[in-house]
Amino acid sequence: MSVRRARIGRGITLIVLTLFATAPLLLLIVTSLARGWFHPQVVPTALDVSAWSELFTDASRRGALMNSLALGVATACIATLLALPLGRAAALGTKGVRRVVALLAFAAVALPPVALGIGLQMTVLTMGLGGSLRGVLLAHLVPALGYLTLMFLGVFTQWDSRLEEAAATLGATGRERWTLVLLPLLRRPIADALALGFLVSWAQVALTLLVGGGAVRTLPLDVLAMLQSGQDQRAAAGALALTIPALVVLSAARGAARQTTAVVA
Amino acid sequence: MSSALEVRGLDVRFGDTPHGLRDITFSVNGTDCLAVLGVSGSGKSSLLRTLAGLQPCAAGLIRVTGRDVTTLPPEQRSVVYLHQEPVLFPHRTVIDNVAFPLQVRGIATREAARRATEWLSRLQVDELVSRMPQQLSGGQRHRVALARALCAEPAVLLLDEPLASLDPAVRRDVGDALQAARRASGAAMVLVTHDLDDALAIATHIMTLGHGLQTALDTPDALLATPPSLAVARLLGVYAEVAGEVIETAAGMMFRWAGGTVPMAATIASPAHGAVVACIRAHEVQLHPCDASGGSMGEPRAPCLTVIDRRDGASEAWITLGDPAGANVGLRTGSGTNVRIGDSVQVTLRHARIFSPD
Repeated sequence: MSVRRARIGRGITLIVLTLFATAPLLLLIVTSLARGWFHPQVVPTALDVSAWSELFTDASRRGALMNSLALGVATACIATLLALPLGRAAALGTKGVRRVVALLAFAAVALPPVALGIGLQMTVLTMGLGGSLRGVLLAHLVPALGYLTLMFLGVFTQWDSRLEEAAATLGATGRERWTLVLLPLLRRPIADALALGFLVSWAQVALTLLVGGGAVRTLPLDVLAMLQSGQDQRAAAGALALTIPALVVLSAARGAARQTTAVVA
Repeated sequence: MSSALEVRGLDVRFGDTPHGLRDITFSVNGTDCLAVLGVSGSGKSSLLRTLAGLQPCAAGLIRVTGRDVTTLPPEQRSVVYLHQEPVLFPHRTVIDNVAFPLQVRGIATREAARRATEWLSRLQVDELVSRMPQQLSGGQRHRVALARALCAEPAVLLLDEPLASLDPAVRRDVGDALQAARRASGAAMVLVTHDLDDALAIATHIMTLGHGLQTALDTPDALLATPPSLAVARLLGVYAEVAGEVIETAAGMMFRWAGGTVPMAATIASPAHGAVVACIRAHEVQLHPCDASGGSMGEPRAPCLTVIDRRDGASEAWITLGDPAGANVGLRTGSGTNVRIGDSVQVTLRHARIFSPD
């Protein structure tokens, strides 16, 4: 009897969780396709894909999308390039160095975006980059670098440094140790870092708003603006577009996790 | 002709501490194998890592085939270091692992594969070429790591406790592979271990470390016959220690202990005076049933001792004897010794080494 109850309980929990996870998404999908769907109508009267096609045909929306993509890719690449050696140096350094790097990286992640944004706004304005794509990129790099440095710190704390020692005594130079041993073994963490760096920038609102000063339009800012002006169908299409990279990364991560080989000690 | 490895006055620090090894000096010729013996924490691995260039030395000179490599990076030393646990590159197949040192030397892929296969074949693991390291057993991993090391054609091969933490079958297997490697490669070997059996299985010379110093360097036979100090004898771990004293009698210098009085000249090495410790190996002890009639050939009669405990090992037995005064003494004997607890016995010492106590 108690086994049956437990099974029923588990079933109900699963249904509730599934509804919580999928209902808003389903509603967004319907809203993005529903033309003129207003309260108290229970179902939309007409469906079309105009909001979706606008994402690519409307110059202003396409510009925001391209800005988001460009910022995401640049943030991912630059933050990964910086965070990998930084996390490695911290992991291989003294306990003091490790603590300082971890603290700084954590501060970049944990500080409220508004507080961080105001500080960055002043810095970027001083550098003469206020309201520019480069200024926004600089701002996006701060939290991304924080996340990725913490990630690589974790990777290299668990790293088996004997692999490099073995390679060195077998005759591999520093460059060969990187290209033949380190990088092939770091393929998965680097892919994860690129994905995470992209997502941090892709979803950024506060920093873009504060540092870009409205002059740099990105997809999340566009979605907010449409929501505020009551363009629900367009806002929903934009919001769904925002979720696509996250879903792609999530499924890729699941796939990669199945094939992952441990390379740590 | 210069030695494969020559070390002069080497000082090695343990991490960032001021402690370390001081004034280490030795040389190893090609195809010879030096075993470095020391207790845990004596700096054996630090010494090996310094020779490999994986940590700097504080002072001294390291020459490999006559070339000063003291300040050179690991990849320029012609010295390969094998970790205690074999470290194979997990993203490469066995053949790619073994060909790695040839690949970094710019040797063509086909030639590298041929030479790698040859080494795998010599170490009898050529059927594993296409396997990934994760698919290998412990013994196979050791053999592949060894094949990779030898493929680098090093002048010196450094082995960090290669037989430690292996089960007996794998231990024998890896020991055989090391012997084969030594014969086939022509490389000098230095292996560190805390186990005399490992050293005896492979080494042509043994060096001992203690309290940051090199305490002995000799061939295994010579070192076992006459260890230079009680500390070295204890490190070798094959002797029973018996307390006694060296006395002067009309018949000459004698060693007196619970088991009797023995003339020094005939049986005892390294004479000392007063209270001493005698180190005795199992084959140097003979136990006889107690014969109260007297000593042989004019020697004083040995007192009868009672066997109060016996613990048998694979090749030796530990016998604890009690004398009439109530003192106990422990001896090692061959496991075939035919005495039982409660027996009354007399002891003949064929040989012993005498040291002043600590």
